[in-house]
Amino acid sequence: MAAAPYRGRRMVAALVLLSGFALILFRLFNLQILQAAELTVKADRQHRKAVSVQGPRGSIYDRHGKVLAINMDVPSVFGVPASLDDPSGVARDLSPVLRVRAGEIEKKLKQERSFVWIARKLDPEQGRRLERMPLEGIGVVMEGQRFYPKGPLLSHVLGFAGMDSQGLEGIERRYDPSLRGEKQMVVLQRDALGRTVFPKGLHEQVPSPGHNVILTIDEVIQYIAEKELEEAVTATRAKGGIVIVMEPRTGAILAMAVNPRFDPNTVQTISADRWRNRALTDTYEPGSTMKIFVAAAALEEKVMEPETLVYGENGRMVVAHTVIHDHDRLGWMTFAQVIQRSSNIGSVKTATALGAERLYRWLRAFGFGERTEIDLPGEVTGLIKEPRNWERRSLASIAMGQEIGVTALQLVTAVAAIANGGWLMKPYTVSEIRDEKGRVVVQVSPQVRRQPISPETVHTLSKILEGVVTHGTGSKAAVPGYRVAGKTGTAQKIDPKTGAYSSHLSVGSFVGYVPAEDPRLAIVVVIDEPQTEAWGGVVAAPVFRRVAEQALQHLGISSQEPVKLAMTTSSEMARP
Amino acid sequence: MKTLTVVAAMALLLLYVWERVEIVRVGYQIERLKVKKVVLERERDELQVKLSALTSPERIARVATEKLGLVPPQRGQVILVNVKPEAPAHGEPAMPDVKLARNEPVGKVP
Repeated sequence: MAAAPYRGRRMVAALVLLSGFALILFRLFNLQILQAAELTVKADRQHRKAVSVQGPRGSIYDRHGKVLAINMDVPSVFGVPASLDDPSGVARDLSPVLRVRAGEIEKKLKQERSFVWIARKLDPEQGRRLERMPLEGIGVVMEGQRFYPKGPLLSHVLGFAGMDSQGLEGIERRYDPSLRGEKQMVVLQRDALGRTVFPKGLHEQVPSPGHNVILTIDEVIQYIAEKELEEAVTATRAKGGIVIVMEPRTGAILAMAVNPRFDPNTVQTISADRWRNRALTDTYEPGSTMKIFVAAAALEEKVMEPETLVYGENGRMVVAHTVIHDHDRLGWMTFAQVIQRSSNIGSVKTATALGAERLYRWLRAFGFGERTEIDLPGEVTGLIKEPRNWERRSLASIAMGQEIGVTALQLVTAVAAIANGGWLMKPYTVSEIRDEKGRVVVQVSPQVRRQPISPETVHTLSKILEGVVTHGTGSKAAVPGYRVAGKTGTAQKIDPKTGAYSSHLSVGSFVGYVPAEDPRLAIVVVIDEPQTEAWGGVVAAPVFRRVAEQALQHLGISSQEPVKLAMTTSSEMARP
Repeated sequence: MKTLTVVAAMALLLLYVWERVEIVRVGYQIERLKVKKVVLERERDELQVKLSALTSPERIARVATEKLGLVPPQRGQVILVNVKPEAPAHGEPAMPDVKLARNEPVGKVP
C-alpha cells in the first residue's frame, strides 16, 4: 500500500488546517459575539468625535443695512510643549509673525503642560502666515470674534459681547436670545488618518446661526449727533453729554449719542462707568424744560391761555420762606412769554393755579416717573415724589424742574408726544429681526402708549414753543428755513459734597422738534457740567441747530419757507 | 442557466461594492468642498468687516476733509424743494415728494 504512509501525513495536514480554522472561528466568535458590545463602544470612541458646535452670532445693522456688529472667525495659536524638540527655535520663528518677544513665547512653550495658548484672536493675515510655516507642535484654530467695524459709533446702544459670544450690554444683551447662534453636539466620523468622513446617515445637523437684528438707527444721523456732541463737550470742557434724535410719529430712535464715547472692540480696558447708556440709566434735574409740561397741563386744564397776563414780581418772589429769582426782572407778561422767557415765577404761579395733585397727574401722564419701556437694558424710572410726600416748596421746585429726576430719553419721548399731536409713543431701537436667509422673524411696529393732551392744546403749545426759538431763550436753536419749537433748560446740580445746589455744577439742555408744522425730528441735547457757560440756550441750543440742520438735509426734508437769496448767507454759516 | 445565475450574482455584488466605494469617494469630495466653503465664508466675513470699517461715516468725513480738501455744503448751496407728486403715469411709481433742486453732488455727510 503505497498510499498508507501519505494517509497519516494527510491526516496531520488536515488536522493542522482544521484546528487553524477552528482557532479563527473561535476568535471570531469571541470578538463578534462574546465581546461585541464592549468592542463596539471602543471602536466608536476611536472613529467618532463629539464636538460642541455653536452657530455664529447674528449681525447688527442700521436702518439702511449698514453693518454695525458682525462675527468673524479669527486664528488663535496654541502649542503642545511635549512634542517640541527646540522650543527656543520655534519661539524665534513665531516672534516676528505674532509681534511678541521670543523670550515670552519660549517661556510659555517650556511650561510642563500638554497644551498652552500662545496668542489668541489674531489678525486673519497672521493666521495665513502661520499656516504656511511648517512648525511641529504648534497649531492654529479658528475662534469666533465679535467686531464693531465702526469703532465707537453707537457703542452705548450696541453694547458688546463677551469672549464666549454672550451679549453683555446694550442691544447685544437685550437681544442676546435672538442674536445667539444655536448650540449643538455634533458627532464627527473619522477615518484611520483622522480625516472627517461624510456622515453615514446623510441627515447631517449644522447648528443654525443667530438671527440678524436691524435697528431704527440711521448711521449717518448717529455720526452727526456724536460729532456735534463731541465738539460741544470739548468746547465747553463739559463732563459729558447726551443727544437723542427720535422720529415723533413712530417713537423710532434715529440716533442716541452719549459722550464720552468708548470703543466696544477694546472694552476690556475700559471701566464699567463708561459703558453705561446714560441716556436712560441716569436721571438729572431737567430745569426749565419741565415748563413745557407745566404749560401743557395749564392749557389743557384751561387754567391759562396764551394771552393770560401773569405778573413777574420784578424777578423776585418768596415761596415757603425761600426766594425764587428770575433771570430778568419781569413785570406783566403773557402766559406765552412766561414760557418763552423762561420765567420761574410765572411757572410757579401756573403750577400753583393747577395745584399739586393735577400737576403730578399731568407729569405722570407724560411718562415721567415710569419707564419708557425702550428695548434697551438698564432703563430707570426716574424720580418723582407723590404729592403727599411733597414739602412746602416742592410744588414751586417741580414747576422749575427741580426735585424731579428724569432721563434724557423720558424728556425727548414726552416732547415727541407734543410733536405727534399729543400721542405718546413707546420709543424703540430695533425694527426687525431676520433669520440667516433674510426672512423676517419679528417685525416691530410703532406702539402708542396714550394721548395725554388734545391736538388743540398741542397746536397752541407748539406756537408758544416756536416763540421760544424766534424771540425767546432758545434763539440759538433756530434752523434757517425751518420752524423750530423747543425749550431751553439750565439746572443746577446738587453738589455731592454739600448736598445742596452747587453754584458751579450745572446741566444745560435743549429739547425741541422740527419742522414745527409737521415734526419729523424730536431732539434732546444735554450738556453735563459745562465749564464755560451754564445756560442751555448757549451750550445746548447750538448743538440742536447743527444736528437738526444736517439731519434734515440727510433725510431730504425740504424747507416749508420760500427760499430767499440762496447764496448770500454762506459767510454766516461757515463753521471751522 | 446555472452559469447565468452565478454571473448575475457576481455582477450584483460588484455593483454593490462599486456603489459603496463611490459613496466614500463622493463623501470625501463633499468634505473637501465644505472646508473650501468655510474658507470662503471666512473671507467674505473678513471683507465685510473691512468694507464696513472703510465706509464708516467718520472715516469718509476724515478722508473728504483732510485728504481731498472737501468742505460740507454751505447753507444755500443745497436747496431741497417740495415737488407735488403728479398722478402716476401708467402704473409707474409716484415720484418722491422731495427732490434736489440743484444738480450738485450733495455729500450727505458733512
